[in-house]
Amino acid sequence: MLWKLALGGIKSRLKDYVVLFSGLTISAAIFYMFQSLASNPEFLKANSTLGMIVFIFYFGSVLLGIITLVYILYANSFLLTMRQHAYAMFMMLGAKSRKIAQLIFIETVAVGLIATVVGSAIGVGLTQIISQVLVKQMDISITKFSPWSTNAAIVTGVFFLVLFAIAALYNAGKLVKTPVLNLLNQDKTPTRFKRNPVLWGIEVVAGLGLLAIGYLSMANLNTLQLLGIGIALVTIVLGSYFVFDAFFLMIIQLLRRNTKFRLTGLHSFTLGQLSFRIRDFTRLLSMVSIVFALALGAITVGLGFHDQIQSMAAQVSPYDLVLHDPTSKTASQADALKPTSVSTYRYKVDGKTIYFLADDFNKAPYKMFNPKQNADGSFSVQKQTYTGTEMLKKPDSYTGTLRGLAVASADAAPIKVVDAATYAKTAGQAHTVSLYVTKDFMASKDKLKALVAADAARQGGKVATMDMNQKYSVYALYNSMMSGFEFMGLFLGIAFLAMLASCLMFKILSSAASDALRYQMLEKIGTRRSLLKRSIRQEIGVLFLLPGVLGIIHVLFGLQMFKVTDLLPQPYHNIWLPFLIFLVLYVLYYFLTVQLYSGIVLQGRGAEDFQRGE
Amino acid sequence: MANVVEVKKVRKVYGKANEKQTMALKDVSFNVQAGEFIGIMGASGSGKSTLLNILSTLDKPTAGDVRINGQDVTGLKGNQLADFRSHEVGFIFQDFNLLENLTSRENIALPLSLQGVSAKKIAPQVQSIAEKLSITEILDQYPTEISGGQKQRVAAARALVAQPAILFGDEPTGALDSHSARELLDTMTSLNQNDGVSILLVTHDPFSASYCQRILFIKDGVIGQELKRKDQDRTAFYHQILDELGTFED
Repeated sequence: MLWKLALGGIKSRLKDYVVLFSGLTISAAIFYMFQSLASNPEFLKANSTLGMIVFIFYFGSVLLGIITLVYILYANSFLLTMRQHAYAMFMMLGAKSRKIAQLIFIETVAVGLIATVVGSAIGVGLTQIISQVLVKQMDISITKFSPWSTNAAIVTGVFFLVLFAIAALYNAGKLVKTPVLNLLNQDKTPTRFKRNPVLWGIEVVAGLGLLAIGYLSMANLNTLQLLGIGIALVTIVLGSYFVFDAFFLMIIQLLRRNTKFRLTGLHSFTLGQLSFRIRDFTRLLSMVSIVFALALGAITVGLGFHDQIQSMAAQVSPYDLVLHDPTSKTASQADALKPTSVSTYRYKVDGKTIYFLADDFNKAPYKMFNPKQNADGSFSVQKQTYTGTEMLKKPDSYTGTLRGLAVASADAAPIKVVDAATYAKTAGQAHTVSLYVTKDFMASKDKLKALVAADAARQGGKVATMDMNQKYSVYALYNSMMSGFEFMGLFLGIAFLAMLASCLMFKILSSAASDALRYQMLEKIGTRRSLLKRSIRQEIGVLFLLPGVLGIIHVLFGLQMFKVTDLLPQPYHNIWLPFLIFLVLYVLYYFLTVQLYSGIVLQGRGAEDFQRGE
Repeated sequence: MANVVEVKKVRKVYGKANEKQTMALKDVSFNVQAGEFIGIMGASGSGKSTLLNILSTLDKPTAGDVRINGQDVTGLKGNQLADFRSHEVGFIFQDFNLLENLTSRENIALPLSLQGVSAKKIAPQVQSIAEKLSITEILDQYPTEISGGQKQRVAAARALVAQPAILFGDEPTGALDSHSARELLDTMTSLNQNDGVSILLVTHDPFSASYCQRILFIKDGVIGQELKRKDQDRTAFYHQILDELGTFED
């Protein structure tokens, strides 16, 4: 009988359960994806030069776990609001509270179990797709990564089961303790909280002040060191809370006092809903703003590192491509790239020594970027140019400088720069080497890759030394170092975003049932449906917008940390890209929430569409 | 005098063609004249709620015509319907139906702001209706902070602020104590007599009904008896209603 009731409950509200179920499934999928990374230390170590990366992921897991817990509690309170009326009916009919508790437990755990299994399966698929997309789109190489991870599946399964058991116990306990009458009439919520205006004012000032302190301490991370991070964490968390609890509420109250604004259309209703909502949502909204910042920050920094690869490579190598003894085919391919400059040098190899012709260096002086330590300890790049005349003064001292120009087969031989007469007399095999600079390195990247590979293949697969004077090699090296970072940044960012937006969504949805009455009332007194929809869009829009805006402000100031510590010298460069990715996802969540919420509060097309003459 | 409500052969059938059908209203016809205070009485299941829902455009009849202020309301849809409700009809419900996240003032102003009336004009209109209903003191309080009687006055103010053609009351005294109920009915009488507001009250309570000028009794979807107060005082009319109920219910 219990099973029948439980299943009947699910059947009767299938649409709402689909919402709940898909949300839970996605959260399980995300958790699995995250675990498939975090529980794979070999992958993490292989893809990062940072020793702390395993720790960072461990920390990330804990954070994601906490968000998931919050999420599941909200999702379950949504489940409970759907069912509480039916439960209360059963109790009124004399069902024992122990039985009801059992019923809730069965329902919650059954929903959770199925969601976890389906979610993990989707997680495997998503992990596969995402890793492939990232590899393709971002030119990333990931090693030691497989979408299926037994560890991750076990961790996900156990974690979700425990969470659902906790949620089920919590729900059951809460429902059984609440008097039946309250359950039946729980929709009537009192709204007014009297506030002491002085304390309120202090809270506003404190909130803004704490945020300012947090931002300042991030900008001064160099002097404050680790303490700065601690200060920022505490002040920004508290500051965000106060800002939601006092500052935003103050703005709404000010709007409510503006008679003209308030008395237009449904504004008074929307503002009333909002001021009630924000009070109820304070904790969630401040959490969302902070996690939003962490997630967006992770994506921005991840992509920032990617962006930096090119500029870092450009600081190391003046030439994009080095072709040893170019064939007519490779030469024409290189010319097809429309290089802005081509420098060709001749040399001979006689088995013991490599002889470079000085005249060629007079025609096209050889360039090199050398790092130079400044007086304050920082490094900068110094551009050096070598002409043939200059080299002839010390003809034996350029072995290191010119090493990358010679063929691999002559790897160990010393290098000598000689004048034209000596060069002509010297016996040995003649070679040429051509150095290209292209107009747009990133645009020619793929073609350069093929040429570099062909050049290496012609030399028997071995490259003379790690050729620091060929930008493509440096780029590839940095790319492999940074791609791990980037991958994790994107991954973390998207996982967090999806979770926090889902939390917000379910928190809003779980109050939809009680809001439905208000919308029905408004329809009865003659409110146009378009106006109701606009009010819904505005209300949910503000709830999404406020934490989003605060989160973006957190990120903009937070990036200072990377700037002052020189981890990312230009953190704001190309910042629109991560912001765009992030906002598109966030906005999708917003529309989804509006859609689901409207579906619940604006039931049917109302009585107006009752068919006539049926 | 002009008819503010005209009901012609209204029929309402519940249940689809292939299911068991119930006829809740069987060709009901009657008129309400402008300035009238009319009551519709009937027991549970008599069809009086169905009738009110149709009159107030919350439901549509299966057949027949309903005209309010000369306009056929059965064909209204979407925005037309919403606009018609906000302009032409006012409601008072048994359970008040106030928005508890708005102050009384905001609740009352809502129909006007929905019609796009400018803020400058809204304020004096709210003030004036609040004075008529003696609720100026509680305008800035929320519904949860005022008594049931006060809530119903706020609801009445909200129903009347846009000066509708007719005020519909669905057991408006049902959730009130006897003192508040009497006060509300006195107020409605005064609105009807002094301000010419047309009122249609649906109730099963003879005491509330005794405030009306004319009463239609509905039973099993048919309007049976009609009672007029004429020159009787209220107590006499009350007893007449009780007598009528005694025979009508048999």
